[in-house]
Amino acid sequence: MPTKKYYFNKTWEMPILLAVLTTIGLLLAIMGTGIWHILSWIVLSIPLYIMCKHGVKYYK
Amino acid sequence: MKAQTIKRWFNVHKWTSLICTVFLLMLCITGLPLVFYEEIDHLLGKDIELSELPAGSPEFSKDAVLQNAMEHIPGKEVKYIFWDADHHPHQMFVTLADSSEAPIEADHYLTMDERTATVLEAPPNEMDFMLVMYYLHVEMLAGIPGKLFLGLMGTLFIVAIISGVVLYGPIMKRFDFGMIRTEKSSRLKWLDLHNLLGIVTLAWAFVVGITGVINTLADPALEMWRSGQLAEMVSEYKDKPKIEGKLSSLDAAIEKAKEAAPGMEVSFVAYPGTLYSSSHHYAVYMIGTTPLTSRIIKPALIDAETGEFTDMRDLPWYLNTIFISQPFHFGDYGGIPMKIIWVIFDLATIIVLISGLYLWFARRKAKAAQLKRLLDNYESLTLTTVEEDAY
Repeated sequence: MPTKKYYFNKTWEMPILLAVLTTIGLLLAIMGTGIWHILSWIVLSIPLYIMCKHGVKYYK
Repeated sequence: MKAQTIKRWFNVHKWTSLICTVFLLMLCITGLPLVFYEEIDHLLGKDIELSELPAGSPEFSKDAVLQNAMEHIPGKEVKYIFWDADHHPHQMFVTLADSSEAPIEADHYLTMDERTATVLEAPPNEMDFMLVMYYLHVEMLAGIPGKLFLGLMGTLFIVAIISGVVLYGPIMKRFDFGMIRTEKSSRLKWLDLHNLLGIVTLAWAFVVGITGVINTLADPALEMWRSGQLAEMVSEYKDKPKIEGKLSSLDAAIEKAKEAAPGMEVSFVAYPGTLYSSSHHYAVYMIGTTPLTSRIIKPALIDAETGEFTDMRDLPWYLNTIFISQPFHFGDYGGIPMKIIWVIFDLATIIVLISGLYLWFARRKAKAAQLKRLLDNYESLTLTTVEEDAY
């Protein structure tokens, strides 16, 4: 039988990952310009990509 | 989580969202063009082209540049002067108003060419589309009370986000991340979309929400600084009336500030009587030169009568918090791609708000239909009883 921990991880793994990525992305761009900006754009695109990937199911 | 606890959080989520949604929608919509303020000005052809200067052209002091700005709109007082060397080299921005204590709405903005001491641009002091968006977003065209009210709505939004996250757990417990049930009812479909977009935009909405709320506190924070640290710094001047007549040299004041803060640049100069200075001083705001240190601002106070250096201190933590939080609200610190990312997050937040509103309506409707069914049953029951009685 699945445990409480299993349910917790299953529910929260992705949200926590996305929140951490967003926070890192927001901070990267303030550290400097050039490469820092590029890294920030890449990191911030991940949550947006995942949102779109799942969001399109709405139209199916 | 117990059913009772879930119900309580649901009610928190419902009420905080219901109260703030209309205002948050307004903020999200007016915020969209504001993200691209510079680019829209550029598109509207409001860009200023600097002319090529012939070699050996004379140089002008900042005092001379300012003099020409003031002659352009006579009878005004200077409020602020600022520079943006990275984006607009050789330009000096001058804010004029009837009095240095006048509210922001009546300000005139002049753009000066520092090399020729000529006026590059002096837009009429009237609302255009972007300014309306700006004032709606910042204060709903209702001054400081409007600003503080929006701060309150932002606080409710933060509570709505937190309670939403709490509800996400029990709702998603048996489902995979990102599931959207399209085959059942449109209410479930919208609920799943609301949950997906809500949880993905969580961190962004939280950061932009909190920094927005912090920004609404700028006016009380400045008042606090004026009556606290600033009053202390200029305690020797406290019995003197507001300075009048000709002020000491702006160039000299800037030189003094640079001596006091070596290695820093001038961000802006606040004139005596404005919110950012005393009634007797130039406040020359110095900033660091790297992306990180440029958020740390230090005002040097220069006596605007004698031109003597009075004091310079680090700003208190609450003003530093406001200055540091600003870029995280504006999204203007990572180039155009960052602005596009900002817009996508903003649009997703709009969908979260609208779907939330729809869910509330749909739930009410479902509840009302249920109630009506119950009442209908009850009525037909009574009717039958009455009919039976008649026999």
